[in-house]
Amino acid sequence: METLAKLQVLSGAARYDASCASSGCRREGNPYSTGNTSQSGICHSWSDDGRCISLLKILLSNDCIYDCAYCVNRSSNPVERASFEAREVVDLTMEFYRRNYIEGLFLSSAVMKSPDQTMERMISVVETLRTEERFRGYIHLKIIPGCGPELVRKAGLHADRISVNIELPSHESLKRLAPQKEKFSILEPMSLIGKEITESLVERRSRGKAPKFAPAGQSTQMIVGASPESDFQILRLSEGLYRKMNLKRVYYSAFVPVNHDNRLPVLAAPPLLREHRLYQADWLLRFYGFTAAEILSDDMPNLDESFDPKTAWALRHPEFYPVEINRADYATLLRVPGIGVTSARRIIAARRFSVITPEGLRKIGVVMKRAKYFITCSGRPFEKTERSPLLLRNRLLLGDGGDVVPSAPPKQLVLPGLLA
Amino acid sequence: MDRYLYDGTSEGLLSAVAHILAGERDVERVTLGERENTLFEEGVYLATNTAAAEEFFSRLQMQASEAVYTFYYFTMAEKDGMETSMLRYLALAMQHGSKVNGYLTNPSVKEIVTVSRKAGRELHRMKGLLRFEKLQDGAYLARMEPDNNIIHPLALHFSKRLRAEDWFIYDVRRRIAARWHRGSLTLGSIEQFTAPALSEEEKAVQALWKTFFGTIAIPERRNPRLQKSSMPMKYWKYLTEKQG
Repeated sequence: METLAKLQVLSGAARYDASCASSGCRREGNPYSTGNTSQSGICHSWSDDGRCISLLKILLSNDCIYDCAYCVNRSSNPVERASFEAREVVDLTMEFYRRNYIEGLFLSSAVMKSPDQTMERMISVVETLRTEERFRGYIHLKIIPGCGPELVRKAGLHADRISVNIELPSHESLKRLAPQKEKFSILEPMSLIGKEITESLVERRSRGKAPKFAPAGQSTQMIVGASPESDFQILRLSEGLYRKMNLKRVYYSAFVPVNHDNRLPVLAAPPLLREHRLYQADWLLRFYGFTAAEILSDDMPNLDESFDPKTAWALRHPEFYPVEINRADYATLLRVPGIGVTSARRIIAARRFSVITPEGLRKIGVVMKRAKYFITCSGRPFEKTERSPLLLRNRLLLGDGGDVVPSAPPKQLVLPGLLA
Repeated sequence: MDRYLYDGTSEGLLSAVAHILAGERDVERVTLGERENTLFEEGVYLATNTAAAEEFFSRLQMQASEAVYTFYYFTMAEKDGMETSMLRYLALAMQHGSKVNGYLTNPSVKEIVTVSRKAGRELHRMKGLLRFEKLQDGAYLARMEPDNNIIHPLALHFSKRLRAEDWFIYDVRRRIAARWHRGSLTLGSIEQFTAPALSEEEKAVQALWKTFFGTIAIPERRNPRLQKSSMPMKYWKYLTEKQG
């Protein structure tokens, strides 16, 4: 098979992986090498689905021995199979990189003969890139669950970021939809990676030349909407991953039905709004000082589709508002709908010079159409309406509320496999 | 209001600002603009004093290093008519140091920081969107038409990244080019540009990239609006993946 035909098969099979980040580590080039990496990451293009392209995202092979219900590459699927030679991946990466199409490579793979054999082949591609081609651009390597710890360690020495996909938000769903993948074979490498990253950081503090281990950290991904877990379960899982495993990112991927399987739900369309709300809640966990238990609870296990999760929290906590812009501390400012990390920082910086007026707030870039219901400026409110939550809710929904969806479509989740 | 004029160069701007600030006048009562040499033009012309400009610049670097970046990006925007704002911004920078960029409630600071941030954003964007094509002699060529004059910092970025290759970046609108040849960078203007012939393999590599670009999108998630807002159509002209 020609490289072009393989590329078509193996990029088409890789597109369901959400991560494309090229950020998180800075590496200089040198006169004998090609490439470097930038701390903030660089997006090189945006595909027709609006997602950014920064890495050559491909599978080494889609010829899988596993038969996971949700996966396009499962062994029982009658799709065209292809596998790259190591050289093909290396050449594609270098040719694309020299033309500035990409920031680097994101290599994943179906499980070919065994997890170890697959991981070994993936690592050899990356080794060739790093040693023969002296490639110093970004590399994201997927870890195949079930491969040996030595291979995980080797992967982390060559790649900037490594990731193990948690695939589904619960052990039960994993057992039902991906029976050949074991929970421990996913969690074990994750905690090993977390440990290695920490150890490498500690060692580098005392010995600057110690090798870096996955300097851009570890991420994971789970499919949302293929199994019955609530948003609360998902967020608690993410919270645990961030706190205990020290993950950089958890990616959520709206379930796109690619197979017919009676274990899978029948959806009219991928749950994109749910995915979007989960990302918003994820940001609240990482940058806004929220806990999963503040965002959701057992009584209210799913995110409100009409409001972003911060606005939803604000509507449930009228006692917290109004927030005085000229006095509130950073953490309090962050709780105001319409004020993000950037504008909260800017408010603090601008207050050092003078009292902030309503006009000044607009200059800073606060989204006033949402913030105006929740703040005062030198004691003066923006909206004279009484703050009954119901009234506020309606004004945010019907007025120029910003990031709200006027009428939430009824949730349709049919799980024939569960009811049968 | 007193009006001052300068010759329109960055150096002239800095030397005029140095002169006005040295006079310890209230900058809120002074305006500064480019000399147009019309008959009825009013104002005091301040001739460029290179030494004064350099002296002011190094003082700025010491006292407000952030403001130096802001000034640098501001000049890339090639915006006319904002000299008065720049004068007031620099006066505040000398007074408050690097934290001046946080004083966004001040109209002059807001104006200057916004323009400079826009140039910085386009520079970052172009680091991703620039496309090189391989020529017959083995060198690479990239063409672009950015809104801001970013070729210098952009070329510096690629001089660290693609060090082993020889390449050109050509700003079609401004007719200026950056050339990286055997490890050294030169900038110059180009009077007449004729596109050189592409190498044999170029078409094949471009076909591979276009194929990848097509298949990496998830059909069920098609979203052209999001694509255009992240990657405005004005940049598509030189994007390999958006050609034919």
